[in-house]
This record gives sequence, C-alpha cells and structure tokens, in this order.
Amino acid sequence: MAWELATFPADLLGEPETLESVEVEIVPSGSPVRVTHVLDAVEPRIRPDGRPAFPNGGRAGEGRTNRLDGVVVLSCLDFPGEERPLHEQESIVDLGGPGAALTPFADMTAVVLTFRPAAAEGHVAIDAHARSVALSVAEELARPTLDAEPAEIERFELAAADESLPAVAALIQLSDLGPLYIQYVYGAPAGDAGLPRAVDPAEVLDGAITCGEYHWAAMRNPTFFFQRNELIRTFYREHGSTLRFAGTVLMRGYEQSADSKQRAAERAARVAGELGADGIVITTDAGGNSHTDVMLTCRACEQAGIRTTVVLAEETDPESTKPILTDWVPEADSIVSTGNVEELVEAWAPERVLGGDLLLDGRPAAEARPIPVRNYLGAANQMGQLALSARAV
Amino acid sequence: MKAVHYLNQFFAGLGGEEQAGTPPTRLEGPVGPGRGLQTALEGVEIVATLACGDDYFAEHEQEALAALLDMLAEIAPDVLVAGPAFGSGRYGYACARLAAAAAERGVPSVAAMHEENPGVAAAGAAFVVPTAVNVAGMRDALPRLGALASALASGRELGSAEEEGYFARGFRRNYAADKTGAERAVELLLGKLAGETRTEAGGDLDRVEPPAAVADLSAALVALVTEAGCVPQGNPDRLPSVRAQGWFRYDLDGAETLASGRYESVHGGFDVTLANEDPNRLVPLDTVRALERAGRVGRVHESLYTTTGNGTPVVVATRFGQEIAGQLRDAGVQAVLLSGT
Repeated sequence: MAWELATFPADLLGEPETLESVEVEIVPSGSPVRVTHVLDAVEPRIRPDGRPAFPNGGRAGEGRTNRLDGVVVLSCLDFPGEERPLHEQESIVDLGGPGAALTPFADMTAVVLTFRPAAAEGHVAIDAHARSVALSVAEELARPTLDAEPAEIERFELAAADESLPAVAALIQLSDLGPLYIQYVYGAPAGDAGLPRAVDPAEVLDGAITCGEYHWAAMRNPTFFFQRNELIRTFYREHGSTLRFAGTVLMRGYEQSADSKQRAAERAARVAGELGADGIVITTDAGGNSHTDVMLTCRACEQAGIRTTVVLAEETDPESTKPILTDWVPEADSIVSTGNVEELVEAWAPERVLGGDLLLDGRPAAEARPIPVRNYLGAANQMGQLALSARAV
Repeated sequence: MKAVHYLNQFFAGLGGEEQAGTPPTRLEGPVGPGRGLQTALEGVEIVATLACGDDYFAEHEQEALAALLDMLAEIAPDVLVAGPAFGSGRYGYACARLAAAAAERGVPSVAAMHEENPGVAAAGAAFVVPTAVNVAGMRDALPRLGALASALASGRELGSAEEEGYFARGFRRNYAADKTGAERAVELLLGKLAGETRTEAGGDLDRVEPPAAVADLSAALVALVTEAGCVPQGNPDRLPSVRAQGWFRYDLDGAETLASGRYESVHGGFDVTLANEDPNRLVPLDTVRALERAGRVGRVHESLYTTTGNGTPVVVATRFGQEIAGQLRDAGVQAVLLSGT
C-alpha cells in the first residue's frame, strides 16, 4: 500500500496580508441588528458536480446547483485611509425596525462577515480578496446540502412555445466605472466581458454574475439579486403562457464617452433583435450616467422596432416638484419606478451594530435618526427585485 | 376637531359682483355651502368661515393673505377647506393661494375646483379636489371634499392622488406595491406590446434653452465654471465627491494652465485618472489662455467656480447655478465656459 503526499509552496495562500482578520457572526432573522458597510449579499450555493458555484470560466446554468434557502452572506468592509475610494457609499442592511421592510434579507439568517483590511494595502487588492472570501464562504455554507435531500427542485428550461405569444427579452445593465464600481461576468469586469452579448438566462441565475460595485447602495445590485433575479424568474414562469422568453442580453453601464454609449446602445439593440425580441425590459445598475446608457439603449431598441420597458429609481427631494429622473428620452414611455431614494426612513435605534460602529459620515450607526433610502443596500434596486415604488401625491 | 372654511363674497352671502371688493371677514360657524359641507365632515366642526371678495384678493393678494392667515392662526384649526370654486378663476386662485400658504404653515389644507381652474397650479402643497365646472356640481363635490378634509384633520396619511381623488401635486412618495418591480415591468411590457402603454414615472426634465450667442467674444469677460469636482490639490475645502452642499470659488492667480499636481478632481462619478493627468481636461484653462493671447477671447475671469455635480438633487443644483450666476453677473462676466462630466 503506497501513499503520496504532495507539497506546495505557501504562496498558494494568495495574498492573505490584504485582510488582517474577519469576524463572523450568524444572526437569526428579524434580529434588532443594523449591518453597516455592506459590500455584497450572496446566497449560499454549491454544485454537486464539484464545479465552482461562482465560476470564472466554463458555463454556469447547466447541470444542478444546490442553494441554501433563507440564508444570506453579508460581507462588510470599511476601506482604510482618510480619503475614501471615489465615493463608496454607506450601505446598510437593517434586519429589524422600519428599514427591514426595504430588504429581503431581514427575513433570512444572516451570516455577517466583517473584514478588517490591512491598512497598508490598496483598495483594489483588499476588495479582490474580500470578494473572493465572501463567495468562498457562501459556497462552503452550502456544503451540507450535498448530503441532504432537496426540499424542492426547480427546472429552468425554455421549451418551444406558442409562436403567437410575444417574444420578450431581459436586458441587464452591469456597472463598470473602474475599481470598486465593477460588476463581474465569470470573474471578468463587465467592461472586459465582451458586452453587449446574449447569455442563457440560467447563467445569470447560476452565479455567472457577481458584485463588486459599491456605488449608490440603494440603486445597486448585489450578487444575491442576480442569483434570485426576479425578472428572469418571472419571464421563465410566464414562458409559454403569456409570453415567449427570447433570452437575456448583458450590457455595460457607465460607458465612458458619448460615442461609446451610443455604440453600445445600438449593439445591445442589435443583439436583442437577433434574439427575435418583440419587446424588452431594460434594467439599470447604480445611477448618474448609467441612466444615460439606459435611456440611449431604450431609444435604440425602440428605433429597432423593439418595444421597451425600463426599470429605474427616482432621485428627487420629497418636498420639491422638480424632475424625478436623471435622464430621459421620449421613447421611455413605459417606466417602472423602484422608488425615490431621497425619501427618509423613520429613525430606529438598533440593539446591535455589525460591520462597523460608525457610518461613513462619522456618526454612530446605533444612533436613532432618519436615514435616506439611498443608504439601504438594494432597497430601490433597478432590476425590480423588490416591491418598493413611488407614486404621485 | 376644528375646520375653517374659506368662501368668496358670493358664496358667503355677502353679495354678488358689486361686493367683490370686500376685504377679509370672519363669520362664525358654517355659512352657505359650508352647511352642506358640515354634513359631509366626520368628527370635524366648521367653527368659522373666512370670506373675501374676489376682486379684493386679486388686487391686494399680500394684504388679503396676511389678514386671512392671522385669522387662521387665531383659530388654529385642524384643517382648512377652501371652496368649491368650480370654474371661477379668481375665486379658485384665492382658494389655492390661501390653502397653499396655510399648508406651508403646517395647517392641513384642501381646496376644490374644476381641473382647468388656474388655481389648481397655484395650490403648492395643499390638496385640490376636482369638481364640475359650475355650481351644478356642488352636491357631488361636497361629500368628496368633506371626506378628504376629515382625513386630513384626523392626521391620517393620505394615499396616492389616484386612490384618494385629488389632483397630484407633483410630489412623489414611496409605497410598497403589491407586486415586485420585475413583475410590474413584465406587465407593463406586455401591455405596451398589446397597444396599451402605461408608465409609473414620467420623464419631465428641465430643458434649458440655449441663450443668444455672445455678440463679440473678443471683447467679453469669460469665466470658467465646472461641476467636474476640480479643486486645488489636496482639496483644502473638502469639496465632497458626491452630493455637494455648495460650490467653491478659487482664484486662478493668473495661472496659464491647471497643472497636474496643483489641481485634481474629487468627482466621484467617473474614473478621474485621465483627468488628474492633466486637469485642463476638466477645465480647459490652457486653451482659453491661448485664445485670450490670440485676442479671440477678451479676458479670462480671475476665479474658477467649481462643485461636484454628482448625486445632487435638481433643486439644489438650481440654487448653485443661481448663486454662481449672480456673482458672475455682478463681476461683469459676459460668457461662461461650463464644463460638465
């Protein structure tokens, strides 16, 4: 009987020095806890065939993936240095109190990871490591499912459907505004992922897209929202009954020049046309000039004869009657509002704070004071994941 | 709970057009249509009726408003009800202005009038209930006016304009819809494909008309203004990278160029790497100086005005613009090169 023991160098640890430590806390649903500096939210997933749950290559959306229901990993990190990287925004998840109505995570068991970065390290290296650890933890947490019987199995497959039903597609915008504002497609920044292009909608649900985008907290899309994407799930559900699901197009948000915005809009419309889409829902990531990308894409789709509905958040002073959208084209005549991020959420004093005791404005996170919707992670996300909306009064 | 009711001279029984010059008057209890309104109120009593002639209000708006607001403050009602004014423009305007002013002072206020009455647009934060165009609509209007007034007096938070039956005031409020945004998007899209286009948010944008061209740029004083977050290196005044609360003015000290290492951008809405390699890419001082030397631009204004136009509500940005424009006008500036990012 022979046994082999293979030895590898310590370098394989990667660069552990970028993170000094991580605190792990498991918080039951509905706890009176405020979680601050939240970078991402991830659903625990693992693949029985041993392939990675958040692959950097290959193809997601095939075979089987196991998910742990009702559990979310929240990764938290306060970047070091007096000067904040660009303007990463305070990102809060309240597991209790009035803010709990703005998140699906309050109803789940939260595994909160609080990273302590090494002060000497750059933000990009720190972020890369934190993202990798958070995804690995999410994968590890799902490991017990490998030895258990599933409570339910859903099958995502697009069978041939009645040709008289309208063909519709999802067009999902993914931010890439440079370091710390990047969504990843198979581990590659959205700007380097060959977008716009069509993907199988199941790839989106199966961990192909992960979040490294820490812009406007309320208006951004954490990994969890791709894994459980409501738009794609709704299209699958309705496929063959009220519509034909023609496919999903990914495109970059924050194209960096007027020309590249216009070109990307036209290419996205062309890809949607190649899918045979009669209609398309365009979703949005973050705010500012990513809204211009969406508007130009809406126009390009309409000009290509593809009827378009756009999902957007509003940004307006609740006491003013000024315009509510950052940008707009007349073709955007069908808009879903995911709420006004400037409205305040009632003051609440949490019993505990995880993630960091001070908010980015320097004030105690435990202090009861009204906090704007814009600081609540994903609260007004523009993929339509939640029910928040705004209306005329 | 107490209500105050506002009427014009005619509905208050003070007389017709010949009494339109009547100044503000306080009458006790409900008067005229106030009697019908009283029966439509729940748990609310009309303790006083304020009346004013339509001409008097139109010709002495400030005095009339001041007098009426004084009377209102004395009574401190839970709600102010004005009208119904139906299609009457002067009366509707007076109802709206009083209701708007009372709402600003924290008195829940509601008026009633026809949708084309100019008062609808003058009611500010006050509520306006739609009515028919003439007094024949009184019987239909009073129950709806009374219901909304009762709700306001009770302090109940009102639902949407559509649900509660008032004209939308232009404000937006969050609410939890009964379906996710994704489900609503699919419904909207299928509706649009079937020929019925609906939207949850309108695209009303402020459109700024381009001004007339500067007649002679070679004689003009030209200022540089930017929202690119361009500040002296180190950001001495801590201009925020997002949601700026104000703007700054920096003397250029006769500089020929915005040198890298002396200026930088703290704007949080784009990757500033290329901008900081050469801050003239944000604010083209080098080029404008060259034009100045060539005589194509009269003179460059001594100060740079800067802010971060990132995450700034339109109402705040409008204020920045007005403040900066005021200073530039006082300095005799005739043209501005405004760089945005």
